[in-house]
Amino acid sequence: MAVDRTDRTFVDPKILGRLAAIPLSARRPMQGSVSGRHASPHRGASVEFAEYRKYVPGDDLRRLDWRAHGRTDRYYVKEFEADTNLRCCLIVDTSGSMGFGSTGLSKFEVAQRIAASIAYLAVQQGDAVGLSCVADGVVKSLPMKRNPAHLRLVFDLLEQAQSAGPTKLVSTLHELAETIRQRALVVIISDFFVDPSELRECFEHFRFRKHDLAAFHLLDPQEIGFSFQRPMRFIDMEGGTSIFAEPNDIAERYRKALETYLTSLKQVAVETGLDYHRMLIDEPFDASLMRFLTGRTKAGGVR
Amino acid sequence: MSFLEPLLLAGLPLAALPILIHLINQRRFQTIDWGAMRFLLEANRMSRGFARIRRWLILACRALAVAALVFVVTRPLASGWLGIAGGGAADTTIVLLDRSPSMHQRETSSAASKLETGLAQLIGALELADSKRWVLIDSATLQPQELESPAALENATATSPVSASAHLPSLLQAAHDYIGENRTGQTEVWIVSDLHSNDWDAGDGRWQSLRDSFLQFKQGMRFHLLAYAEPPKQNIGVRVTDVRRQRTNDGASLYVSLHLTSDNEGKKKLPLRFDLNGASTEHVVEWEGPDYELRDFALPIDGELKQGWGRVAVQADAYPVDDEFFFVFADAAPRQVLLVAENSGIPRALKLAAAISPDPVFVNNVQVEDPAKLATVPWEELSLVLWQAPLPEGDVARQVDQYVAAGGQVIFLPPKNPGDEAYARARWTEWRDTDGPASVENWRGDQDLLARTQSGAALPVGELQVHRFCGLEGELSKLAWLRNGANLLARQPTTRGGIYFLATDVAPSNSSLATDGVVLYALVQRALAAGAAERGNTRNAIAGTLDDEIGSNWEKFAGSDETLSTEYALVGGVYGDDDRLIAINRSAAEDDAEVLTAERVRGLFNGLQFDMASGRAGDFAAIAREIWRVFLVCMLVALCVEALLCIPKATSRAEALP
Repeated sequence: MAVDRTDRTFVDPKILGRLAAIPLSARRPMQGSVSGRHASPHRGASVEFAEYRKYVPGDDLRRLDWRAHGRTDRYYVKEFEADTNLRCCLIVDTSGSMGFGSTGLSKFEVAQRIAASIAYLAVQQGDAVGLSCVADGVVKSLPMKRNPAHLRLVFDLLEQAQSAGPTKLVSTLHELAETIRQRALVVIISDFFVDPSELRECFEHFRFRKHDLAAFHLLDPQEIGFSFQRPMRFIDMEGGTSIFAEPNDIAERYRKALETYLTSLKQVAVETGLDYHRMLIDEPFDASLMRFLTGRTKAGGVR
Repeated sequence: MSFLEPLLLAGLPLAALPILIHLINQRRFQTIDWGAMRFLLEANRMSRGFARIRRWLILACRALAVAALVFVVTRPLASGWLGIAGGGAADTTIVLLDRSPSMHQRETSSAASKLETGLAQLIGALELADSKRWVLIDSATLQPQELESPAALENATATSPVSASAHLPSLLQAAHDYIGENRTGQTEVWIVSDLHSNDWDAGDGRWQSLRDSFLQFKQGMRFHLLAYAEPPKQNIGVRVTDVRRQRTNDGASLYVSLHLTSDNEGKKKLPLRFDLNGASTEHVVEWEGPDYELRDFALPIDGELKQGWGRVAVQADAYPVDDEFFFVFADAAPRQVLLVAENSGIPRALKLAAAISPDPVFVNNVQVEDPAKLATVPWEELSLVLWQAPLPEGDVARQVDQYVAAGGQVIFLPPKNPGDEAYARARWTEWRDTDGPASVENWRGDQDLLARTQSGAALPVGELQVHRFCGLEGELSKLAWLRNGANLLARQPTTRGGIYFLATDVAPSNSSLATDGVVLYALVQRALAAGAAERGNTRNAIAGTLDDEIGSNWEKFAGSDETLSTEYALVGGVYGDDDRLIAINRSAAEDDAEVLTAERVRGLFNGLQFDMASGRAGDFAAIAREIWRVFLVCMLVALCVEALLCIPKATSRAEALP
């Protein structure tokens, strides 16, 4: 599938080649518009038998099971599972805090790589992909389409997007949960620097709308370690007030606050059935993606 | 607290170095764009209690460690008053030592006296100080004595106890004179004393002039007082008030009157030990209250014993000096009075006042002579000279000088026609009439010839009426003066003997001395008694009142074995000089335990650099010792605490990622 010949910094063909071997599966039945490889909540024309049901007038006579009629002298209609395509909605956080990176790559650049990889994998297997860049709202958005040419638009949008501005992740996620019409695989890539209790509501909203929700939680090693030696002036990348602090004094309490936050977020993820993947941006992102894909493969096909 | 290396205290601001580094470090901050601000804000909100003060504790520990290090190198000394090295090395260190009897007081629990304790503590303190010259001036001799080192104080001759009272103004005057003569540089003056009121004589007019003089010295001067003001406890003292030899039918008896004092008002039973020429007798007295007077206690003696010596002692206590009293006695010999008069008619009242003895034991012989016929007078036998004639000149004046120097008393009365003659830097001017009868404005009732009687009653000097008096020129000590300020009775200061000038005579037209004869009789008899006491074969003297050199030829009969012969006149005991016997004792004021308050002492040194520390007899704790180790330990503790506070909490990445 050679739809894009432009060199994209966030697309690595070798990694994509490795990842292409594993299908991108949904954990919940999807309601695609065309036939695909994902389970559908409706009966369809796949080879996989679903059930018998009594004939009612109006049913297609071709679907009557004559053998059953011969055995029971009743009219039964034989139903099969439907396979449909996946609608994958990528939500990339482009707020200012995503621009932080102490290892050469920013969190946003890692998010670009993850989003591009998932988009490629989805389009490759005939699934529709859409992209929403969010910050203090939906900054830019592409609808979910499955044609390969759409992938270039997704890549273009990822390339053009920049991390800047404040974040209103919670309200934006609620908005997206409402606006994504059909069931979809929603992948959120963000640093989630929001109150976990507010995020819980967002995740439950997505769940209520029967979306399959996955999240990549990106963190920088320095945000975890907080290992500074000299007094620091911390300037808020999202435009808030700056803080002057002696790292030695504040480090312990910072780590405590971070630990509390991470624990709460993980708890929220478990309770809301979120496919939660936390990763440090100094780790290879393809390893996280591999875990993401394999995890879904094991749990896939549930109708 | 003071320091042996005070200049290094200039490094104390280094203690602020950690704070300075902290402030510089604060200014060298880095700026970073940060995404996870919510955790920083939460961390700031969590900053409470110990977490908030931890940084300041660390800074305080660092500052404390540096300050302690500075203190270590400045070699601090532990004491409340150590100005020892406050101004660096002194050029001269002068030790003023109070050797008065009260400095012999001991604590009941210790054998060391205040003097010994003071010396030991002083040596310990001075060995830490640095000085080019060490000088000792003691209260008994007032002679500066240069020492090689503070340790030499221990063996210096002028540090042994004496019975003579100290006089701090004189002691400071001696120090002042030494500083002036030797032009010393930075001078430290150390005073070891017990603040005894009698020794300090806070009312002496010299204190003010001494203060002013010391302030005028351009070189730095500092005074340090090591005070041992603890009063004696459970003390009983004895003082012989009178000794009289009297013939009896079967020989002779010695009548001894004595006074016992105690700070315990309860009932006491006390053995008194009398030593007479080496033979002992004991007598037990019982009394209740602070004082006890034993009058005319008869001790039988050999009838042939015309003169002798004795000692009364009570049991030893913490204040040994007043536990014994020496006395000498002799058969009452006639007292010789020479009345020198221009004509024999006028001084009849004088002759009567001199001739009638107040005590039947004594016989007074009065010899009247014309001033021109004095060549054959036996001066050595005289006790009193009453001189109503032109003042002596030439050979006669020299004879009178010798007589006075040997302890004789002379009272000059104005002649009818005063001339230009002068004696003892004084001369009569002319007779003056007063405007009506003039009375005496004031007189010295505390001492000398017009002092109060033993019962405390004042002499009726105020009742005297003076109609004429003779002017008097010269620097004399006033004993009584008229309302117009003119001298009535004055004294020429002498080291021994007495020279008095009475500015009127006994003629009824000139004064009521003869008609109100009590004053005349008292002053003549007192002068006669003083002269007899000085001139007789026995003498009971107060330590320190005699010329020091006199004692060097004496032979000791009783007293401390450790007394140097050069200090016989200063130490209690009985001594002999040819045929004379002399008993030396402490002054009566030494029995008074009153001490000056610290405030009063500070007031005496007001304006001068002065510090003071109190000690106790037998307490040999060093008044100054180096305590740099304490600061070293403080520094180490501060560093350890700082290190503990700085230990970061061990956190692993895995721990931070739940």
